[in-house]
Amino acid sequence: MSIPTKITISSLFHRSAAPFFNPTKIPTPPHRLFFSKNITKIISSNQPVLSSPPSSSSLQRVEELPPKLQEIVKLFQAVQEPKAKYEQLLFYGRNLNTLESKYKTTENKVQGCVSQVWVRAYFDEDKNVIFEADSDSMLTKGLAALLVQGLSGRPVEEIVRVSPDFAMLLGLQQSLTPSRNNGFLNMLKLMQKKALQLYVEAKRGASPSSDVSGIGDSTSGDGGVVDSAIGGNLNEDLGHTSVLGSRGRRIEEILNKELRPTAIHVEDISYQHAGHSGVVGSDGETHFNVEVISEEFQGKSLVKRHRMIYSLLQDELQSGLHALSIVAKTPSEAAAQ
Amino acid sequence: MESAVLKLPSSLRTISPKPNLTNRTLRTATFASSASASAPSPLSTDPQLGPGSLGHLTRPDFPILHQEVNGKRLVYLDNAATSQKPAAVVDALRNYYELYNSNVHRGIHYLSAKATDEYELARQKVANFINASGCREIVFTRNATEAINLVAYSWGLSNLKDGDEVILTIAEHHSAIVPWQFVAQKTGAVLKFVNLGEDEVPDVEKLREMITKRAKLVVVHHVSNVLASVLPIDQVVSWAHDVGAKVLVDACQSVPHMVVDVRSLDADFLVASSHKMCGPTGIGFLYGKSELLSSMPPFLGGGEMIADVYLDHSTYAEPPSKFEAGTPAIGEAIGLGTAIDYLSAIGMQKIHEYEVELANYLYDRLSSVPSVRVYGPKPSRSVTRAALCSFNAEDVHPTDIATFLDQQHGVAIRSGHHCAQPLHRYLGVNASARASLHFYNTKEDVDDFISSLSDTINFFASFK
Repeated sequence: MSIPTKITISSLFHRSAAPFFNPTKIPTPPHRLFFSKNITKIISSNQPVLSSPPSSSSLQRVEELPPKLQEIVKLFQAVQEPKAKYEQLLFYGRNLNTLESKYKTTENKVQGCVSQVWVRAYFDEDKNVIFEADSDSMLTKGLAALLVQGLSGRPVEEIVRVSPDFAMLLGLQQSLTPSRNNGFLNMLKLMQKKALQLYVEAKRGASPSSDVSGIGDSTSGDGGVVDSAIGGNLNEDLGHTSVLGSRGRRIEEILNKELRPTAIHVEDISYQHAGHSGVVGSDGETHFNVEVISEEFQGKSLVKRHRMIYSLLQDELQSGLHALSIVAKTPSEAAAQ
Repeated sequence: MESAVLKLPSSLRTISPKPNLTNRTLRTATFASSASASAPSPLSTDPQLGPGSLGHLTRPDFPILHQEVNGKRLVYLDNAATSQKPAAVVDALRNYYELYNSNVHRGIHYLSAKATDEYELARQKVANFINASGCREIVFTRNATEAINLVAYSWGLSNLKDGDEVILTIAEHHSAIVPWQFVAQKTGAVLKFVNLGEDEVPDVEKLREMITKRAKLVVVHHVSNVLASVLPIDQVVSWAHDVGAKVLVDACQSVPHMVVDVRSLDADFLVASSHKMCGPTGIGFLYGKSELLSSMPPFLGGGEMIADVYLDHSTYAEPPSKFEAGTPAIGEAIGLGTAIDYLSAIGMQKIHEYEVELANYLYDRLSSVPSVRVYGPKPSRSVTRAALCSFNAEDVHPTDIATFLDQQHGVAIRSGHHCAQPLHRYLGVNASARASLHFYNTKEDVDDFISSLSDTINFFASFK
């Protein structure tokens, strides 16, 4: 699974610039202490936090990255000297299109950056995501430019599949402090989240090319895990949309309309109940798993939430819907998982 | 009274011959002309910064400074964030854990008694260091931030009412602002902030005016971690006491660098952190006048701070124990005591004099770099600056500067808001870069920094 499911943004934010002191791991002369050790060593020992499957430490292969990003990675790998990498980075930054100040909003701001970074995303006619970005720091602008160039014009699925690991593939993090690196990772996450938001917006039938500032709950604080919820849905949706019959689609529509969820997943599990009494005589769509994440549940008990959903689906329940298995969470509860 | 033998750190052997050296240096100072060709500095007399300076003499005591970062000699200029520790302090911590680690105050056995003695000795050392009336006026906390929270939750919540005023400056550290925001929300007290005056120092006249009868507390820094300015605490305290208000002094940037005498300042509360004064992290202290501490309700509840515990109520211990719930950072407190020994053996006055020279040298060289703007007052005969400079370079983001300085030159400075967002907002910037020195920095460190900075600014300028 290439979508990071367990990354908590907080670990990325609060990692201080000074790596932890770990003398036993460092086979260097005694007085060369932690800072002199290559930062990669320390980053790689932190890697479980960054990479998608927490246990494995294999990086996403270059070939799996979007094509333009692959080019960029190879370019940086070809440049050995740190100062030259900086020059390359700054060159990218200089060529980045300026972002209009009206887009420099809080929703577009990357959290956890020592400098100010803004990212904007919108769909083109083919539902590929176009990114724009800006920063007041030249190095960060360079990093933003890498991401914009590497990810713009690609479809949502490809963008969300990019693992943050690729920052290591750039070899730039040896030249960048961990806190800078965090900004980079957070930029990527924000871009992925915005791509997902565009997707969700489009699915709901809202204007596809509108900017999605303010959609969903998002402070990037819980962006990471909400991402995965949306991301999980995305993957499921991509697999399942063809599988939902008319009732399934109606359920989804009603819940979407009334609960305005940040994430919703409707799964037809009627097949599991085929043969039992409730199914006989129906059109087969009898049992569903429903998972809804919505602000509407805030302050309501579990029982109340379930009643809400049942009452919205009264008509279905009276016309053959036999059972619902409901998971109803607020966005902050989902993020706390 | 002191049962434990006061072991002087071995590194102090290098310090003791110093008095002769200083005399020699001082005599030379009167003859030599300050010869700094590139930056004429009327305030800094080079000879005190030359070979044999305090910085050169003490550097060997700090093992961490002798390393390379990214292939370059480490130049550590982030002391306002945290200071480095002499070998003696590191040894003290190690000794504690190797020889006599044991829980304090409650044990009967030998190790516990020894640990308790050393821990309480450390408290006494802190009391002596700031000239408190007694060791019971020193409450150990995790750091200065926790100490301020202690005052806020304990004194603040039970003494402030709706309409009472707390006077602060906009240059305060977040730890001196946020806890008072909590208290204001809960009690209805009002926070009032003094702005900066013309020389980028908090407007002392305005501060005086704002200390009215409605003011119950004044919270001020002694030395600003961004502006490097020094406030006249003794005056502030007398104005506050005239109207019956208390004063909480944030001495984080002063205690490590100069003589601080709480009785001559007559401060009601004073806070500082060990890690900024060559001591370990994880320990700090609150100084509070005994009558104040005695009247304050507890902050954290638990063991140690109680007298008797029943199911439905408990009675509390006397200060300072009343405010020290749970097992304290014993080793760290002892480490702080050792740090104080180390500093005292050099002498805070000596440290201060050296740092003033270094501060002036840093300021002069930094402000001569084209396109650099340094915040805070200009040093003069009457205005002393702390040995730190927050600055911005035109068209180059401080983060870019700090990154490049680190990566290409091994120079460690800080970039950001330095926990002073209101101040930065007032100055109209998002962030600044900051180089901050301590007595183990040398003139060469400053020279290295300046030449690296020029290189950095040129690098980024070429990309514009």
